[in-house]
Amino acid sequence: MAKTGKKWIVLCSAALGAIYGAEYLATEANSPLQQLLPQYVQAAAQNGTGVYPGIQAPGSTPIDSSVSGGSVSGSSTPSGSASGGSASSSPTAGSGTNSLYKNGTYTGTGSNRRGTLQVAVTVQNDKITDVEIAGYEMHYSQSYIAGLPAQVLQNQSAQVDNVSGATFSTQAFEDAVQDALSQARNA
Amino acid sequence: MDTVVEIQVDTEQSSEETGAAFERAFAAFHKVERACSRFDPDSELRKACRQIQIPVPVSPYLFEPLKFAMEMAEGTGGAFDPAVGKAMEENGFNRRYLTGELVESPSAASANYRDIVLDERNRTLTLLKPLVIDLGAVAKGFAIDLAANELKQFERFAVNAGGDLFAGGADERANAWSIGIQHPEQKDRVIHMIRVSNEAICTSGSYERKSAVKNGTHHIIDPKTKASPVDWISCSVVAPFAMLADAFSTTAFLLGADDGVAFIEQADLKGILITPDLQIVTVGGS
Repeated sequence: MAKTGKKWIVLCSAALGAIYGAEYLATEANSPLQQLLPQYVQAAAQNGTGVYPGIQAPGSTPIDSSVSGGSVSGSSTPSGSASGGSASSSPTAGSGTNSLYKNGTYTGTGSNRRGTLQVAVTVQNDKITDVEIAGYEMHYSQSYIAGLPAQVLQNQSAQVDNVSGATFSTQAFEDAVQDALSQARNA
Repeated sequence: MDTVVEIQVDTEQSSEETGAAFERAFAAFHKVERACSRFDPDSELRKACRQIQIPVPVSPYLFEPLKFAMEMAEGTGGAFDPAVGKAMEENGFNRRYLTGELVESPSAASANYRDIVLDERNRTLTLLKPLVIDLGAVAKGFAIDLAANELKQFERFAVNAGGDLFAGGADERANAWSIGIQHPEQKDRVIHMIRVSNEAICTSGSYERKSAVKNGTHHIIDPKTKASPVDWISCSVVAPFAMLADAFSTTAFLLGADDGVAFIEQADLKGILITPDLQIVTVGGS
């Protein structure tokens, strides 16, 4: 398929992803996307907004911390609106006492043009307790992302500060962590 | 959306599960309309556009189709432009179908998509000057994609919103659909048949909605000339997503004869374009 054609498909996929969150991008054997361009299903996560339902337990900082200013909370837009994206299935802030995440270690994958990486994320009692790079097949040095696991632990969030000059690998790292977290989510 | 939505599902699953999926699929249309309507004064879009030079946080139901429209605008150098809403109002496309209320919006003398700013990180929309956004070329397609997403577990299904549709299904053997493209002049006739499988097909036609204000103008308006393009009478595009097919069918119409064909071709999509004298031009695929 022509390069331009892929761009539009990625945009559409990311648009749906923003509504449904990372669930939409999970592997599905019958998805026409999977049949066409599996690597671009991942890429959509990059091109998308990075706004995923995630650690948004009551009172804690949302994944996309830039929206935490509070201007969204009073609006009448559908649940999840600008701060979370998933209107349909996932619990929103204030949803109650159920835990958001199942305890355990989950391995997520992130990829871009330069390769793939995997990150193992351990969640215990809705806290991220361990983050490790489990697999790395990228065409540049792993040292770029060496500091990112510690940031995830500190921020308790998939979102990390961009490493200058390593935008793509940082994004892939974030995607992998987010992928792991979405596997950990209580449905 | 002033469109009849028809959803068809063939399945052996329980009627409870099927019913629930139907509801979610129909609900997608309501959600998108509440977010994107140019006519409903309480839509998220109308409310956001009352604030000039102020970043307004918006939901993905508005942000995503608008973002796609902006990408189309950039990809066509403004030949496609969501800021075309004021020209549409002036040509009589200003009546809310539900209530009959008219809209007449403030707008700067000249505005285009560059006066619309979307912030990906903060999920905000900012208008740099007053203008009217029309998402008619993307919102219905987006709603179809959302609805189809609720139905993808079924063996065979179709979501049809006024002739724009997604036809699909999980069952390889049974999910190819034969779709007829409406004859532009004889409504009850089909001018061309095409097979569609897990794909969307959207048609833009000059015969659909005509301006009551200006003769020769219909609901597709060139943002630069403010007139309706005349090279085509109908453009249909087949694509993996309805929002994509929707936007491309409108854009092919706007770009005209050669550029319209090229635009569909370079995105590797399929199209059926019909000239005013009913010549059929097929693009891409088999």
